[in-house]
Amino acid sequence: MKRLWFALAALAYSAAAQQQSALNPAGPQSGRIAGLWWFFFYLLGAIFIIVMLIMLRTLMRGHRNAEENQPLENHERAQTRETRLRSIVTVSSVVTVVLLFILLVASISIGKANADLGASGKPMIIQVIGNQWWWQFSYLNDDPSQVLTTANEIHIPIGKTVLIQGQSNDVIHSFWVPNLHGKRDLIPSRVTTEYIRADRPGIYRGQCAEFCGLQHAHMAFYIVAEPEDKFKAWMQAQLQPAVAPATPALAQGQQNFLNYACVYCHQIRGTTASGTNGPDLTHFGSRRTIAAGTLPNTPGNLGGWIVNPQSIKPGNHMATIAVKPDDLQPMIQYLESLK
Amino acid sequence: MELAPKTLDVSHLEPFDISSQAPLWWGQVLIACIEGTMFCLLIAAFLYTRLRVDVWPLPGDQFPHLTLPTLALIPLILSAVGSFIASEGAKRNDRSRMIFGLTLNLVLAAIFFAMRIVEWHSLNFNWKADIQGSYVWAFLGLHSFDVVGDLVFTLVLIFCVVSGRYGEKQRLGVHVDSVVWYFLVAIWIPIYLAIYWGPKLLESQ
Amino acid sequence: MATQDVSPHIPNEHAELSLLDRVWQNGRGIFGWLSVTTHHAIGMRYIVTAFVMLLLGGIEALLVRIQLAHSNNTFLGPDRYNEIFTTHGTTMMFLFAVPVMEGMAIYLVPMMCGTRNVAFPRLNAFGYWLYLGGCLFLYWGVFTNAAPDMGWFAYPPLSGPQFTPGKRTDIWAQMITFTEVSALCVATELIATIFKMRAPRMSLNRIPLFVWSILVQSFMTIFAMPAIVIASSYLLSDRTVATHFVNPAEGGDPILYQHVFWFFGHPEVYIIFIPALGFVSAIVTAHSRRAIVGYPAMVLSLIANGFIAFGLWVHHMFATGLPQIGEAYFTASSMMIAVTSGIQIFCWLATLWSGKVRLTTALHFVYGFLVIFVLGGLTGVVLASVPLDLQVHDTFFVVAHFHYVLIGGALFPLFGALYHWYPKMTGRMMSERLGKINFWFLFIGFNLTFFPMHILGLHGMPRRVYTYGPEMGWDNLNLLATIGAFIIAIGGILFLVNVFWSRRHGRIAGNNPWEADSLEWAAASPPKNYNFEFLPVATSRYPLWVAPESEPASLSKAKTQPDRAVVTGLRNDRREVLVTTLMDAEPHHRYVLPGSSIWPFITAICVSIGFIGSVFNPWYIISGSIISGLALLGWFWPRKLLELEP
Repeated sequence: MKRLWFALAALAYSAAAQQQSALNPAGPQSGRIAGLWWFFFYLLGAIFIIVMLIMLRTLMRGHRNAEENQPLENHERAQTRETRLRSIVTVSSVVTVVLLFILLVASISIGKANADLGASGKPMIIQVIGNQWWWQFSYLNDDPSQVLTTANEIHIPIGKTVLIQGQSNDVIHSFWVPNLHGKRDLIPSRVTTEYIRADRPGIYRGQCAEFCGLQHAHMAFYIVAEPEDKFKAWMQAQLQPAVAPATPALAQGQQNFLNYACVYCHQIRGTTASGTNGPDLTHFGSRRTIAAGTLPNTPGNLGGWIVNPQSIKPGNHMATIAVKPDDLQPMIQYLESLK
Repeated sequence: MELAPKTLDVSHLEPFDISSQAPLWWGQVLIACIEGTMFCLLIAAFLYTRLRVDVWPLPGDQFPHLTLPTLALIPLILSAVGSFIASEGAKRNDRSRMIFGLTLNLVLAAIFFAMRIVEWHSLNFNWKADIQGSYVWAFLGLHSFDVVGDLVFTLVLIFCVVSGRYGEKQRLGVHVDSVVWYFLVAIWIPIYLAIYWGPKLLESQ
Repeated sequence: MATQDVSPHIPNEHAELSLLDRVWQNGRGIFGWLSVTTHHAIGMRYIVTAFVMLLLGGIEALLVRIQLAHSNNTFLGPDRYNEIFTTHGTTMMFLFAVPVMEGMAIYLVPMMCGTRNVAFPRLNAFGYWLYLGGCLFLYWGVFTNAAPDMGWFAYPPLSGPQFTPGKRTDIWAQMITFTEVSALCVATELIATIFKMRAPRMSLNRIPLFVWSILVQSFMTIFAMPAIVIASSYLLSDRTVATHFVNPAEGGDPILYQHVFWFFGHPEVYIIFIPALGFVSAIVTAHSRRAIVGYPAMVLSLIANGFIAFGLWVHHMFATGLPQIGEAYFTASSMMIAVTSGIQIFCWLATLWSGKVRLTTALHFVYGFLVIFVLGGLTGVVLASVPLDLQVHDTFFVVAHFHYVLIGGALFPLFGALYHWYPKMTGRMMSERLGKINFWFLFIGFNLTFFPMHILGLHGMPRRVYTYGPEMGWDNLNLLATIGAFIIAIGGILFLVNVFWSRRHGRIAGNNPWEADSLEWAAASPPKNYNFEFLPVATSRYPLWVAPESEPASLSKAKTQPDRAVVTGLRNDRREVLVTTLMDAEPHHRYVLPGSSIWPFITAICVSIGFIGSVFNPWYIISGSIISGLALLGWFWPRKLLELEP
């Protein structure tokens, strides 16, 4: 049985994609937590094995005793044995307390170290607003022109501490990027905070971890951790309004977008589309996925999504708009051009 | 080491008992524990909520008035005396004492309840108004529900005793009814303090 | 123990027996069936109903597992999936696990205490009818497309009127009301029974460990259930009469709901598994044929468990962001549970170590329990640590953990208990051979299903997702879990087969087939309505075993005692029992229990009308109260005025 489990675990490690895993840390906090996990794992595993060995031994002793069918024990011997058993129980309990105390101290100190991440220096602040079922991110800045609002995908510079400021527009969600840190709930009427930092470049997937209704399963986002200069370049590009259509076909696509009801919910900076109910699409073409991590961002997927969002993500709040087939292709091309 | 006899004869024991030895008394005390826990949690929740909100009560509401509920404490506390007399009467199987005690309990409790109904009319908010309204009405509603239930029960007991349709069970009922009433009187005092004084005291800090 | 050699003076034994039979007889026909108040019948109804619920909950679990068997599965849509996982959790927690433990307690406690019924037999019947009402109400919702879909915890604002319109949440919340009233009835009557109706001389330090566990569980019910009364009332009143208790827009606080819910919800878990600890103690004692090692330590651990359970609810809320000091406190208190549970595990191991173990099916389940529960307990320590919890909270790691502690900690002991007490309940033995096959299916299936979930959780798979993408790499382990689930299902079916087969063909058991120690084994199998012709006297902690010269070492060579001390002098022409004192169980007075009555049923109907109606129209609270009050009047109306002669 046990061997099977180990085999399974090995199988899982190799097979699982590591971009959403608590055991593949990419930041100091998740690193400490993973370390703590392995500490717990070995210590508790040892306890488990010892208890199981004792248990198996009782099985054998028990059989022997049952077979022997010895006569009534003498009273004194029974008494001493009873006392001995009780002291063994007492000692085991004391050992349990000591071990737990070690674990307690370890986890409190790790917790404190993780919380202290934000103690020094001025962090970059990203406001996260949970929505059924997508994420709005805003890079806060004292200078309003430097405030960037985007959706479902963010970039962060490696080695820099980021303060996540969580809020929710509807129900409770939970912000969670296992490769970076544990989760933090996003609660209506409250602001919750969490510091994160990525030390290794990479693309990390996050997912809503608090049940939030029909499409809880499809509420993911990506964090792209990259070196400072690349991040700065990305930031500058994102702060720009949407690129103007370069070809007549793209211009047609833009016009189509603006003519349909899309504009009531979506914003494309630099155009008249200024809805705020749905994700900001100013740089839609630069994102990896559609519909909060549901589909890879390809023209085909986008077309399917626009025509019938309910078939891909049933129950989501995007309205089904009857886009004429002729209007669809340019619209897709336009949206994909918004790098 | 004691020697246990082979048989234990219990025929000499009383076939009933009206005291805290009766299982029913324990049942009633446990029900009081249940309700007491519920009210205490609700009070804690109320104060927690108060501490989370900056402006209290929310604009448009008032604090509940103090005079009437404070005066109403007098008949309420005195009515427990009626319960006590009735339960002593039940223990001694003293019919007139039971009738007197129960009636006293009923009348004073009814006065208390009438004052509460008057108070309802003085509140300028209902439970839909805001969070204070929700809590105040919840406390009033739950406690009133219990009070009315016990008043009906007391009425039935009075009927039983007056009409002579009573035996040990009904006497035990009178005794246990007094436990219920002590509880309802006692639990109202922290509720009263919480909903009428709590927000004001928290305000002044 | 030396007993004076005088045989009890029993006048005309035969006539007395038939008198007892007649006095304790239940009525005939439907009316009689609805009026039953004997504790075996009610307990058995609880157990059977709970097993029907287990079956339904199990089917729901299989549906969930089929849906998750591979990525992007479309077997169930998101709406149906949410309904099914919510109903699964709700059914298992509220309609199976708690009631089945209550049913076992109702069945066993009066016999173990050496009395003839629970203290309030009619309240007992009333509690059962309300529980049944809760089951029917929820499943009426399930089969009319109104199954709850907001999770068994129903966090607002998702469960509020804005985000889940319709009646699904209301039905859930009112189902809670049904079961909580029922659980409170049971807790009240069991505490009163244990406190006041124990056999003479069964002082506190002689109470069987199972009865202790039920006592602790009942007190926990008394102090935990009011919290869920408040939580479900918050939801219902916010939804039906527009109050603002948990409405963030008007000053209400959704986190307050979580506090109140978990103040109930955590003790709830212990309400489920503490009776199971009692089962384990009873089985270990009987099947290793020796007294339990460290009885006082066991009792104190149970009580400590009960207290600590109320001090760690916040570990369900670490992700909401708490002050550090609070986190440290709740980590410590959560880890303390491992100490009290650990002590009990050490005591059982010491008992098995030094006992004369008879490897029966019941004991198989105890060993299965030890393996699974220890592992579940250890992952519980992981969850108590705030940093680790922040990673694995709301992932499949947690799903694995609580199935390890609930199935391992409660269901395995329950199966063991049924193998152990089935002979008492039916008079026949269950098949040991089929029993062992049944055990191995459950044990292997269980580990196959739930062990991979630990790994899934660490690799980022959140709970309550209706599907996942193939790129996540979760396919293999999920498929394994689904296969395991079907193996569990086969194990469950084998159990049912065994139950039904043995009912007919099992070996006749006799009063005490296991040569066990506690008083229920002194009664006939199956027990008479009055349990004992003469109420027993508890002459030691193990009253059916020959006690040696002094108690502590009673111990190893237990033999059942052929004739025991009994109580005489109770009147048999009415349902008379003995009330004893709280501490020392000295006889205090005699007490006439009420007999069969239809009124608990009628009252339960009236109360149900109020409960169900108020989901649709708040005025039913008033009208329901009025008709319930009238029914209570009928219940308590003085019909027979017995002036009790001595």
